[in-house]
Amino acid sequence: MRGYAGLMRGSAPRPRPRNFCKSSLGIFKTFDAYTVGLDLKVFEGVRGNFLKKVPPRKVGYMNIHDMTVALCSVMSVPGHESECSEEIFKVIGESFDEHLTDNVGNHCFVRRCGRENAAKILIDTHFDEIGMCVTDVRDGGFLGITQTGGIDPAILQASEVMIYGNKTIRGVISSTPPHLKKADDGKKIEEMSALVVDTGYTKEELERIVRPGTPVGFAPEYRELCGRRIAGKSFDNKACAAAAVCALSDIEPGRLAGDVYLLFSCFEETAKTGGVAPAAFALGPDYAMVIDVNLARVPDVPEYETVKMGEGVSVSLSAITDAKLTRMTILLCENLGIKYQKIAAAASTGTNTEALNIVGRGIPVVDVGLPLKNMHTYTEIISLDDSEQLAALVGAFVCSEKIAEVFGR
Amino acid sequence: MKNGLCANELIKALCDAFGPSGCEGEVAALICSQIDGLCDSYEVDRLGNIVARMHTGTGEARAKLMLCAHMDEVGFMVTGISADGYLRFANLGGISPPVLCGRHVVLGDERNRIPGVICSKAIHHKKKEERENITPVDKMYIDIGVDSREEALKYLDIGAFGTFAPNYTRFGAGECMIKSKAVDDRLGCALLIEVMRAIKADGAADFPALELYFCFTVREEIGISGAQVAAQTIRPDFAVVLETTAVADIDGVAESSRVAKLGDGGVISLMDRSTVYDREFVDFALDVAAKSGIAAQVKKYVSGGNDASHIHKSGTGVRTLALSIPTRYLHSPSCVCRYDDYESSKALVCRMISEWRL
Repeated sequence: MRGYAGLMRGSAPRPRPRNFCKSSLGIFKTFDAYTVGLDLKVFEGVRGNFLKKVPPRKVGYMNIHDMTVALCSVMSVPGHESECSEEIFKVIGESFDEHLTDNVGNHCFVRRCGRENAAKILIDTHFDEIGMCVTDVRDGGFLGITQTGGIDPAILQASEVMIYGNKTIRGVISSTPPHLKKADDGKKIEEMSALVVDTGYTKEELERIVRPGTPVGFAPEYRELCGRRIAGKSFDNKACAAAAVCALSDIEPGRLAGDVYLLFSCFEETAKTGGVAPAAFALGPDYAMVIDVNLARVPDVPEYETVKMGEGVSVSLSAITDAKLTRMTILLCENLGIKYQKIAAAASTGTNTEALNIVGRGIPVVDVGLPLKNMHTYTEIISLDDSEQLAALVGAFVCSEKIAEVFGR
Repeated sequence: MKNGLCANELIKALCDAFGPSGCEGEVAALICSQIDGLCDSYEVDRLGNIVARMHTGTGEARAKLMLCAHMDEVGFMVTGISADGYLRFANLGGISPPVLCGRHVVLGDERNRIPGVICSKAIHHKKKEERENITPVDKMYIDIGVDSREEALKYLDIGAFGTFAPNYTRFGAGECMIKSKAVDDRLGCALLIEVMRAIKADGAADFPALELYFCFTVREEIGISGAQVAAQTIRPDFAVVLETTAVADIDGVAESSRVAKLGDGGVISLMDRSTVYDREFVDFALDVAAKSGIAAQVKKYVSGGNDASHIHKSGTGVRTLALSIPTRYLHSPSCVCRYDDYESSKALVCRMISEWRL
């Protein structure tokens, strides 16, 4: 798959055809990064938004399975994305030229192509995960919890969680055994507010470890299934992040069609706008690819609303994605033999595309997806074959001179 | 498996072993490897129960005492494979549907092990009433990562057994808590093995003259109990069932509905849904506990049932006691109990044998 990268190079430069030239309209004056074309390094001084860290660069990456498990095991419950900075850096930092963090909780890893005035390519993979947080400490060493992100209440009972307080401790979410169920217990599922987390500490000890707001996540547990599938937590969306890292960490700078900003954005699971908007505002990319998981086909769901696991990446056709960028991305897949499937998402993709698309003067976006089963549980399933196809596409996308010519600066 | 695992290793190995009702072979093999050399003799009967005999004291035995723990755990059986490779399943034992969905499971028989996940459709595809109501078992399926029936058949067929995936963990202050899919009743099995070890270590001859039968039984969870056959074969005078019991001691449960409390020692039943226990036997146990300062408590709520239901009515009748380790979230993938309750239950059994007076 690494061989795909760079195959699209070599065509002659063409004049910029699109309307993404620097606008002279007054309403855009405040968008410094766009109107003046400031580089991020300058920009950071202006807004104090992104903080930069330059790691020693090391080429080569873990295999896609290990990278997926390593990234997905990092705690990134919404609101606590910035706390995992060091951990992420440990896993992938050395594969990139720069590591940027900002006020909101976004992380951005940069690969420089080494040329002046190169296109700015944004690859967005949201990095937060569905999770919970502590609401109160109860008698007997139990914690009340509430959700951050849309967890299916059907999977909560008897699940194992990690409580990320002053120290990380384990817990188990309560459940009622059949022995103690009463005949008149209804069919209604118990809501999260009716459940507690069992910790094995006394109330007094617990109060020293946690406080209301302490994040709680599902315990990382990964298992390989048959057919190159893996089951575990937080593949939404860190499996996509892992594929992107694998793709980007190994490309020689000369083959990149521009500077690549791999954005680990926050708040996708909790806020419609997501953390992607302020990041994209600061970075000012010329074009972007949003990668998020996509619902895979399982029994009892409509076929046309889902994609098929094992059949490669999904490419969304939507009113909010850029039609030309999407067409060119599909062409990349066709030319390079990358397995892809189209899915129509009329007015809403349900991803960061919606927010990213209208940042600043607007950003042309292509929305691609990784098929995923059991979304928003801790036993999400992905196919490593699909992950590899996704990595191949990301690699090809950032190396595509053709796309850079059309959409670059 | 090496002989003579330490207590924590022993409990972990037992809890992580694969042993749904009707497929207890892996657990049995592990137990045989541990009791070999501890007892006078042991045998595996026609149903798969392990019966180990140990004579204590000198001279003729005053009584035949059967100590019993079941080897099986709640699990599943694969009942169908769809054209697109998803498995339908039925429960072995009482599992409440809310703890099924989203679990890692292991499927197989006495040899194979195939990982899988219990699924239903994602919340994004659930309608309002589906989100609010418990997902019924017939809307769930197991995904093993294949796309067709043909592919699935390469790994397993209908009739394959399953359990929740091994997940033994210690947690809490000083790792005081045990969490596992199979606390019920591998802790009882571990307890029996450790009692055998204790008696052997202290010198069996120094104990009162008793004929002890340590039984590791099959199929308790589905009610067609192997313990009945073991009891009919042994024909004991007394039986002690080592079990786990649901407790309902978590925050929010009314005091009147609480069954027992974690940390207060082994739970002695007066009555459950299938047995009224021998009161003199119960008093003896409580008396021994009080005199030797071992934590023990009485079950305060009539619920559940166990192998005692079959044993106490077997043959010409058996005087029976149930001693249970209090356990939260029973029959779920995350049963939780306290290690010190296990320790005090073990101490109580040892002390009852050494001070036997019935």
